Amino acid sequence: MKAIIAATLLGVIMMFTGLFVKDKRQVVMIAVIAFLALLGITIWEVQDASSAAPAMLFNNMLRIDSYALWFNMMMAGCTFLYVLLMGKDIMRVGNHVAEYFTLILFILCGIFLLTGYNNLLMLFIGIEIMSIPQYILAGADRRNLKSNEASLKYFLMGAFTTGLLLMGITLLYGATGSFYITDFTFLRTDALNPMALAGILFILISFVFKVSAVPMHMWTPDVYDGSPTAFTAFMSTIVKAGAFVGFLRLFHIAFGSLSEHWMLIVALITAATLLVGNLTAVFQQSVKRMLAYSSIAQAGFMLFAIASVNASAWQGMIIYAVAYSVATIGLFSVLIKMKDYTYDGFNGLAKKQPALAFFTTIFLLSLAGIPLTGGFMAKYFVLNAAVQQGGLLWLVIFALLMAAISVYYYFRVIIAMYFKQGEAEMAVEINSGDKILLGITCALVILLGVAPHLFLGSI
Amino acid sequence: MNAYELIFWLLTVMAISCALGVILSRNPVSSVLFLIATFFAVSGHYILMNAQFLAIVNIIVYAGAIMVLFLFVIMLMNLNADTEPQKNRLVQLAGVVSGGILFLVILAALKSSTNNMLEQTATDIGLIKNLGKTLFTQFVLPFEIASVLFLSAMIGAVVLGKKGEDAGA
Amino acid sequence: MPIQYYLFLSLALFSIGIMGTLMRRNAIIIFMCIELMLNAVNLLLVAFSKMYNDPSAQIFVFFSMVVAAAEVAVGLAIIVMMYRKVHSVDINILNRLKH
Repeated sequence: MKAIIAATLLGVIMMFTGLFVKDKRQVVMIAVIAFLALLGITIWEVQDASSAAPAMLFNNMLRIDSYALWFNMMMAGCTFLYVLLMGKDIMRVGNHVAEYFTLILFILCGIFLLTGYNNLLMLFIGIEIMSIPQYILAGADRRNLKSNEASLKYFLMGAFTTGLLLMGITLLYGATGSFYITDFTFLRTDALNPMALAGILFILISFVFKVSAVPMHMWTPDVYDGSPTAFTAFMSTIVKAGAFVGFLRLFHIAFGSLSEHWMLIVALITAATLLVGNLTAVFQQSVKRMLAYSSIAQAGFMLFAIASVNASAWQGMIIYAVAYSVATIGLFSVLIKMKDYTYDGFNGLAKKQPALAFFTTIFLLSLAGIPLTGGFMAKYFVLNAAVQQGGLLWLVIFALLMAAISVYYYFRVIIAMYFKQGEAEMAVEINSGDKILLGITCALVILLGVAPHLFLGSI
Repeated sequence: MNAYELIFWLLTVMAISCALGVILSRNPVSSVLFLIATFFAVSGHYILMNAQFLAIVNIIVYAGAIMVLFLFVIMLMNLNADTEPQKNRLVQLAGVVSGGILFLVILAALKSSTNNMLEQTATDIGLIKNLGKTLFTQFVLPFEIASVLFLSAMIGAVVLGKKGEDAGA
Repeated sequence: MPIQYYLFLSLALFSIGIMGTLMRRNAIIIFMCIELMLNAVNLLLVAFSKMYNDPSAQIFVFFSMVVAAAEVAVGLAIIVMMYRKVHSVDINILNRLKH
């Protein structure tokens, strides 16, 4: 709860900063302090949680358990890292720097609601608080037509799925007479109302859109490609993790007892997402667009946590969310410094910027799931959850096959950097501060791969 | 057929025909007017179901604020001419077919899901007093959190709509 | 009045909204069809509220209006921004992003 209040208040403070502080650099400095404060508050909240019993707040609107607190802390940490790495790039997007940071804080507020909701109304408001600022951020670069188009496309599709989500919630209410997700546990398989099933289906479709899984993935490459790179990095990582944790809570806590009804659908969606995401990523020429498709493919792996209804899935979700977010944010922060976003733009980077090329390699290895990196551990956790669940072995084998394909397009960047001749041109100067930050990010990726239990706490 | 049922069917026919008018009329301004008429029909249904306060709020917020905003934008852009290019027939047909199939499938699935009757007796849950009590006790947290939503919408309108930044594009 | 009648009316309005979003090319009309979908859901919520004699569904309608209002503010700003650039609200121009 403190985290939600803090995110809102810091957002308001950030908004007024834009009014009084004209120097963009100072705004970024204040933003870094604000995100550090938010991280501190989430850590404090984790320390402060006296018992394992979840706190029921405001007439059971929120149910904040230790998992929610821990996830909040991880997301606040990732966002802090993101702001450190990309603060200067956000500064270059447009004139309203303080407002961009405000919107990011509000998005975090929405994510904190999604980690702790206990009522479908809170889920609905949380998703909207998370989505509406994203439409704005996607269109933040107003001089760029592509950014405008991305914003309009994202907005129209997002508003449409809002309608579907509302329909789902309403049908579910019609079947049960309650908005509290803990009340749905009485939905029994034997006497299931078709209205409840239709509601679950509508909600599933809207979540599939939010996490950009096939078949609702069509917007993803265009929106991620068109949005300013600084915000694509945020939208494709932390926001996606937030949507996933909302998805996980609803389908495991509320509909866990009905899993035999939706398990097969989710498994098929997972398979389709892995297939489409990985195969299309192979054919991309731009690294930014490749990362958009790779984010679809990675969503396929995160869907394993939804498909397996057990405790390991919850652990896997945290590890996957953090490992994927950290590596992708690091990769985007390198990409944004390049002049040319195609593979050829990376030619010869290793000669020119050896440190940068090395860090990029680590991030790519992590995304491909090579051992000793966070990505490997993340994939291990979610696939392990699926194996424990049983009945999903075909999907696990399929996922391993797809992970092998993903190695191809991630390694293309590495090959371009190390083995191709060329003049990789940078759009901005790299100073030692950037390198130190990237080094820390790299260390986090390795640490995740070596000691993932540090990132699980007592979960 | 008593007066209650008569009003119900009148409003239903009005809602559906006006909704069809929204999607079929070529002129955007008449689309807006059809949509406002649909909202009035829906408000009429709210009154039939003893949700008087919502009926008024529906008209004030939707017809009075949201649709006026639409109308402003359409008129500012001078879209009131029938200039919209049509999608090709096949795409339109696909749209109608998929919407129709969705309707029929859900209709068939939910045909027998409930057989509750809505009583025609008056209830007072739709009155301001009861709604206010519920809103400010049980639902006080979403009420407060909704302000974040409005704040971000406000920021969005400023960030995206403010003039003077596009020069040089 | 059986609750089904309201269910069918609401689903009919919802489907008309979906048809509209799929059929039209004008971004503003598409947005209006989405508003129509939200209104159909609101109608159903009120009917269920009457059925269960529970005010919380009516409160939910308030929040769906809140969200609709916020979306309209942002959405129309986006459409206006787009219109200033290309002097059109035809969504077929969005296909350019594919390249």
